[in-house]
Amino acid sequence: MPARGAESEVMPVRSVLGDHAPDAVTSHYDELFQPGGNPRDHYATLVATLSGIARDEVLARVQSINTMLLQRGVTFTVYAEAAGTERVFPFDIIPRILTKSEWDRIERGIAQRVRALNAFIHDVYHEERILHERRIPRELVYSSRSFCREMIGVDVPAGVYVHVSGIDLIRDTHGQFLVLEDNCRTPSGISYVLENRTVLKFGFPDLFRGHGIHPVDDYPRRLLRVLRHCAPQAGERPNVVVLTPGIHNSAYFEHTLLARRMGVELVEGCDLIVVDDVVYVKTTSGLERVDVIYRRIDDDYLDPLYFRPESTLGVTGLMNAYRAGNVTLANAIGSGVADDKALYRHVPEMIRFYLGEEPLLENVPTYDCTDETERRHVIANLDKLVVKNTNASGGFGMLMGPFASHDERAAFAALIEASPRDFIAQPTIELSSAPTLIDGQLTSRRVDLRPFALLGAEVDVPHAALTRVALRDGSLVVNSSQGGGSKDTWILQN
Amino acid sequence: MLSRVAESLFWMGRNVERAETIARILDVSYTRAMDLYTRDDGRYEQLWRSVMRAAGFVAQPKIVTPDRVAHETLAHCLFDRGNPNSIVSAVRIVRTNALGIRAELTTELWQVVNVLYLYVEGQSLRSAVREGPARFLKHVREATQAFAGVADATLSHGDAWCFLQTGRFLERAYLTARMLDASDVEREPWQESQRLLEMCCASEPFIHYSHDAPEPRDAHAYIVLAVDCPRSMRFALREIDLALHRISNTPEGTFANAAERRVGRLRARLDFASADELFASGIDALATGMLGDLLGLSSEIESAYFPRLPSAIGGSL
Repeated sequence: MPARGAESEVMPVRSVLGDHAPDAVTSHYDELFQPGGNPRDHYATLVATLSGIARDEVLARVQSINTMLLQRGVTFTVYAEAAGTERVFPFDIIPRILTKSEWDRIERGIAQRVRALNAFIHDVYHEERILHERRIPRELVYSSRSFCREMIGVDVPAGVYVHVSGIDLIRDTHGQFLVLEDNCRTPSGISYVLENRTVLKFGFPDLFRGHGIHPVDDYPRRLLRVLRHCAPQAGERPNVVVLTPGIHNSAYFEHTLLARRMGVELVEGCDLIVVDDVVYVKTTSGLERVDVIYRRIDDDYLDPLYFRPESTLGVTGLMNAYRAGNVTLANAIGSGVADDKALYRHVPEMIRFYLGEEPLLENVPTYDCTDETERRHVIANLDKLVVKNTNASGGFGMLMGPFASHDERAAFAALIEASPRDFIAQPTIELSSAPTLIDGQLTSRRVDLRPFALLGAEVDVPHAALTRVALRDGSLVVNSSQGGGSKDTWILQN
Repeated sequence: MLSRVAESLFWMGRNVERAETIARILDVSYTRAMDLYTRDDGRYEQLWRSVMRAAGFVAQPKIVTPDRVAHETLAHCLFDRGNPNSIVSAVRIVRTNALGIRAELTTELWQVVNVLYLYVEGQSLRSAVREGPARFLKHVREATQAFAGVADATLSHGDAWCFLQTGRFLERAYLTARMLDASDVEREPWQESQRLLEMCCASEPFIHYSHDAPEPRDAHAYIVLAVDCPRSMRFALREIDLALHRISNTPEGTFANAAERRVGRLRARLDFASADELFASGIDALATGMLGDLLGLSSEIESAYFPRLPSAIGGSL
C-alpha cells in the first residue's frame, strides 16, 4: 500500500485571534471588525486562515521575518539616539485590506487633489490668479517658509512641480476617508511598502490564498516613467539619477532601493558637478551629462550658492543649471509651498478654483491661528485640540491637547500668541484602528494610510499605499520617529 | 560608472580579501602552533612573530613571554578596531563601502556583507580566546567565500565587477608577498613551506603537482609561479591585468595608464623568468620587491580612476 501522509483534518488550534475580543461599542472605526465583533466581509478569508495557524507558529514566523528585515537592512536611523543607531522599522504581520470601491474613491480623490496642488504651485510662481481673486490670502503664501522667490517666472520642464507626493489619509468614526496632510516635498515610505510585501510573502504565504491583490512592485517602473517624461529635452533617453544626502539619512535605505529598482545611479552631491550651467556626474570614463535628478534632499541644502552656504550635501551651481532649463529636479524647488500646513485648509478651494470640481476627499476641520477669532477659540479649547507647527513634520512640534499637561498647554498658548502664522489647530480625530500583534497578543492600534501619487503626463496613483500604525497604546501618532510601525496594505482587485 | 562607486568597490574587494586571508593565516598558524606549544626552544614564539609580520602587526609587544605574543597577536588581528588590518576593521570597511553603494549591489550580495558584519560585531575577544579562535575564523572565512560566490553569481560582470576583482586580487597578491616576506624559511625550511602552502590553500594541489620529492624551494616557486593556483602571485597578477584592461577597453599587451604598464611588466617577469633567476637574491628580496611594486600599483590605479576632483569647477564662486 502506498505510503500516505496524515489525513487532512481541521484541528482546533490556539491562534493569535483566540483571545482578542473587540470592544462591542467603540468610539472609532475598526478596519477589521464590525461593531458586533464579526469580521468585515473582505477580511473573512484572512481571519479564517489566521485562526488556523497556531499562536506559537505565528510568533516563530514573526521572529524569522524580523531577522530577515535586520539582515536585509530595512532600517531607519534614529537621530535622537546614539550616533547612527539603526533600527528595524517595526512591521506588523496582520495586513490592512482595502476593497476595490474604497480604493477607487481614494484614487480619484488623490488624483484630483494632486492636479490642484500642482496648478496652485504653478500659479503662485506665475500669474497669481488665485491671489488676485482673493480666494487665498496673499500674505499666507508669501510668508510660507517654503515659498521660493528664485522660482518666480521659472518654467519647470513639463509644467510638473509635484512629481511624487504622499497624501496622508485617516478614517473618521463613520469610516469616511479624510485628508490629514499633503506631502509635496520628498515623501518617504514607499520602500516599506515594497519590503513589507516581500517579507510577508516569505513568512506568511498562506495568508495570501483566496485574495486577489494588486502587486506593488511596479512602483519603481512607474516612477521612472514619470521622471523620464519630465526630462528637459525630448528625444534621447534621458539620464536620470537619484540624489541622496548619504548613508546617515533616515531614508537612505529607500534611496538605494529606488535607484536599484529603477536601474539608475544613486549619487551624492560630491558625485555631481556643474559646468557652464550643465549638470554632470563624475564617472570612471569622465563626466556624463545628467538630465533628471530625483532628489531626496530638501531645497535648503541643494545649492550652497543660493541656499545654506554651509551645506555640503548639495551641488554648487545647481540652481543656475535648473533656472537655465538644463536639468529637471523632482520635486521642483519651491513645491513645499503647497504642503505648508497653513495652506492645507485652502486646498478644497484650490480644487474648486483650478478644476471647477467639488473635492472628492474632505479635509479635517482646521483653525487658522492668524485669524483673531479662531485663535481665541483655539487657545480657549487647547485641551480638546491638536496643534501643529506649520513648518514641522514627522510628528514633531505638535501638541496633543487632550493628553498634554496644563504646563504644556500653557507653553503652546504662549507660542501661538507669539507667532500665530506658525500654528494650526484641529479637533482631535479618532483614527480608525486595526488589530495588531503586540507582544504576542492581538491588540487594537490606530492606523492611517499614505497613498503615493506620481505626476507626469497625468496623475498616476500606483496600488502601493503605506499603512502606518501607532504601536503605543492609545497613541494617535503614527510617525516612525514617534514609535510607529507599518502593515502590508492589500488593495483588492475585485 | 561613478568614480566614487568604483573606489568603494575596489576597497570592498581589498578588505573582503584581507578579512579572509588574515582569518586563514591565523587559523593555519594557530593550529600548527599547538604542536610547538610544549617545546621550550623558542619556536612557538618565533612562529607567532612571523604571524605578526604577515598580518601587518608592526609594533612588537614588550612583555615577551610566548603566551603573551600569541595572545597579543590574536587580540590585534581579530578585534582591534585601531588596527586597519584586523578582521573587525576589514569587515567594517567592507560594510561601510557597501552601504555607500548599496544601490549598485544586489540584495543578496548586500545581505552577505550585512550578515557577516552583524556576526563579527556580536563576537568578542574573550569568547574567541576561551573556545579557541577556530570557530570564529571559520565563520569569517565561509562568509567571505560566500561573498565571492554571491558576487560571481549575482553581480553583473561589467565595470563594477572588474573594480571588485582588481581590489581582491591586488590584496591577495600583496598578502601572499607579505607571507613570503615574513616566513622564516632559513630556520624552518620544511615547517614553514608547509605552513605557507596551507595559508595559500595550496597544500594538496602542490602535492598533486610535484610528483617526486619536492624541496622547500619548490613550494615557494609554486606559491609565486603556479599558473592555475588561485592564490599564486602569477594568477593574481593575471586577474588584475585582465580586469584593468576590461575597464579601459585596451587590448592585452598594450597599456592605457601607468597601472596597466606596471602590472604588464610584473606579469612578463613571472611568465618568462625562470625560478632560478627569480630567487637568485633570495625569497626575501623577491617578496620585498613585489611589495613595493604592489603599493605603487595601488596608487596608480587610484590616480587613474578615483582622482580627487574639486567638487565644482567653472562655478561662479
